[in-house]
Amino acid sequence: MYFFILHLSSFILFPMPPSFFHHLHPPTIPTAQARWRHTLAAGGTAIFLMLILGVTGILEMFYYAPNPAEAALSVQTITYHVPFGGFIRNLHYWAAQALIVVSAVHFLRVIFTAAYGHPRRFNYLLGLALFVVSIMLDFTGYILRWDVDICWPLTTGTNLLKTIPVIGDFLYRIAVGGNEVCETALLRFYTWHIFGLTILVVILGVWHAFRVRRDGGIAVPPPQLRADVTRIPRDELVRREVLTMFIVSIGLILLSIFVPAPIAAAMSVSIRESVTESVDVRAPWFFLWVQQMLKWGDPFIFGVLIPSIILALLALIPYIFPQPNEAEIGSWFPKSNRLAQIIVAIIGTIIIILTFINR
Amino acid sequence: MRRLLPLFSFLFFLTLLLVWWVDSRQPKPVELIPTLTGQPEYCITCHADLPEISASHPVETFGCVSCHGGERLALDADLAHSTMRGGANPSDLSVAEISCGGSNCHSGSEADDRDHIQRVMTSVQATYAGAIASIRYTFGAQTDLAAHFGIAAVSDDESQTGIKSLDAFNPAIDSNPMLQKFGENCLVCHLHAKPQEGEAFARQTGCAACHSTGEHTMSTAIPYTQCNACHNRGNYDLRTMTFVERTDQPTSRLADYYQPISQFTKCEYTLDCVDCHTRDETMGDGDIHANQASIQYVQCKTCHGTLTELPLTKTLTDPNDIVFRMAFLNPIMDLKLGDTIIVTEQGEPLWNARQLPDGTFEMVGKATKQYFTFRPVMGTACEQNPDQQESNYCHECHAVEK
Repeated sequence: MYFFILHLSSFILFPMPPSFFHHLHPPTIPTAQARWRHTLAAGGTAIFLMLILGVTGILEMFYYAPNPAEAALSVQTITYHVPFGGFIRNLHYWAAQALIVVSAVHFLRVIFTAAYGHPRRFNYLLGLALFVVSIMLDFTGYILRWDVDICWPLTTGTNLLKTIPVIGDFLYRIAVGGNEVCETALLRFYTWHIFGLTILVVILGVWHAFRVRRDGGIAVPPPQLRADVTRIPRDELVRREVLTMFIVSIGLILLSIFVPAPIAAAMSVSIRESVTESVDVRAPWFFLWVQQMLKWGDPFIFGVLIPSIILALLALIPYIFPQPNEAEIGSWFPKSNRLAQIIVAIIGTIIIILTFINR
Repeated sequence: MRRLLPLFSFLFFLTLLLVWWVDSRQPKPVELIPTLTGQPEYCITCHADLPEISASHPVETFGCVSCHGGERLALDADLAHSTMRGGANPSDLSVAEISCGGSNCHSGSEADDRDHIQRVMTSVQATYAGAIASIRYTFGAQTDLAAHFGIAAVSDDESQTGIKSLDAFNPAIDSNPMLQKFGENCLVCHLHAKPQEGEAFARQTGCAACHSTGEHTMSTAIPYTQCNACHNRGNYDLRTMTFVERTDQPTSRLADYYQPISQFTKCEYTLDCVDCHTRDETMGDGDIHANQASIQYVQCKTCHGTLTELPLTKTLTDPNDIVFRMAFLNPIMDLKLGDTIIVTEQGEPLWNARQLPDGTFEMVGKATKQYFTFRPVMGTACEQNPDQQESNYCHECHAVEK
């Protein structure tokens, strides 16, 4: 990974002929929309985090043992005995948490700069799907620890599937590989995490990036409506990306050194018994808001239906709400898509409040 | 921008150096693979300075985790200790069966005399059945003196005493305030109860209450001071149902036996409790007993005999005799096949008391390793009626001045 960055930085420090990496970028992009304060560097950072997750994940696979007897012990082996294993695991953990945050920021940027309008509506859906798959990756990765603290989230999380009418039991069997959460679930989650969801993320991610280029690059008003028509060359864009990578890397490394990823004791008994012994009954932080709602009543309504409605509402934003005014595309908080902004702001605020209530 | 990039690439390099530096400062893990489990554990990375628990539990064989539990691979103290059995004491009765039990260890068969945990669980040391019955009877909560309750519920279908089970004593449901106070103040020394806070009640729990004679040490050579962790710490005041801590500062073994009106012969305070009192008496015999009197039976005459009888003895002919096991655990005497040792009227060996060719006896203190010789009462000037053998009769002549 870091050879890769150093390799890249050599491009910046010493003039070199354009490479494959340069050609991934458009020759020039609009100055105004290439600014940090416009993009928040969120989309690019998300890609970078996924690369880090891929590399650190592969390194962890050399030691991780996806069977119930050894899983938690192999995580302890990685954490305490593999050279730099704890550091790599912390990097993987923090990159995964950061990915959720950065993806959310990227989503908010797209909404609040009205960047989702035609022809980017489909790519908006791809992005949303990527976000959902990333959360599923985060959750499955959390479960792979297979220690006493994952019992409760695993049990409640998968039980939510059962509450879905008609197809619930079928989905549940797909998720856990049996009639109840037991040892088969670990291999399921492992395969989904390492293979199923990762493949999806790669396909959706490449497609998403491809559609960015295909849809005309970053969202901007048509040339005649632009206040600033200047453009920057891709060398400059690559420089900014590399600088971002350095900053993100430094942040991740410092977090990984000083704040270790959570770990708990191995389960000494089956999951069903461990659930009753488990001390930590809190969901992973990105599901705290759902867990808070589950305290209110019917698990299907609060655990499945409401999150699904929220997701559907977000997905429909480009299709059912007034289209942003062309002149306002790519500027912050345009008037023409206020409704979408307000709805997203309300949903976001509620999710944040629910998360903090349940802290 | 062109200046920021070199700056941040340098900072990035510095953080990588920091990763290496922090890693190089981590303690080097020390691995131990006990032969019994074959699974690596890293406890001694931090705990290398602990003494061996006992010669019978060498760390190379047992390691730490087979008794203590815990996360054997973790190098973070909180995680490593999070699943330890019984906190620092895996022999606490709540976990002793997992930590110390198992058919190969201390939950073996009764026939092999390896049912130690079952014995302790049902012993009066743990149940306090006799006192609970007496107190409940005294305060009108039951109409007879029979044992119905222990501190915790125990059962033994094969109990030879006729008592097959005891229910858990719950003083809260008795309306009598004295019984409630008894429940609060008077159970705490007994093994099924949680020790009370405070110096006067400081004892370890489970097997360690008797057998842990020092930091991380288990032994069958139990000095009287270990027994004194509960015994001789003061007296109960039955009028107030409180425990009155002793306030004196004992300066000798004799003074350390604290019962203000009691008398002792020289052997009673020179020897340790375990030199005379047997396994069955102290740990229980596996049956549920109604009270202390039903299990404690060793008297002066057990070793000394009476005017008309010599002490009971047994000549060792079986190499698998439990006597050799006991002597192996606490090798104070080189017992051999053909040696004759004293046995109690119930057949328990007093294996540290061996008959000499001239008919006298030698004895080695289990904890003090002191060497004594003594002779039977028969043929001496003693005039004691053979039917009156309780210690108070012997004390009349043989008690020492306090």
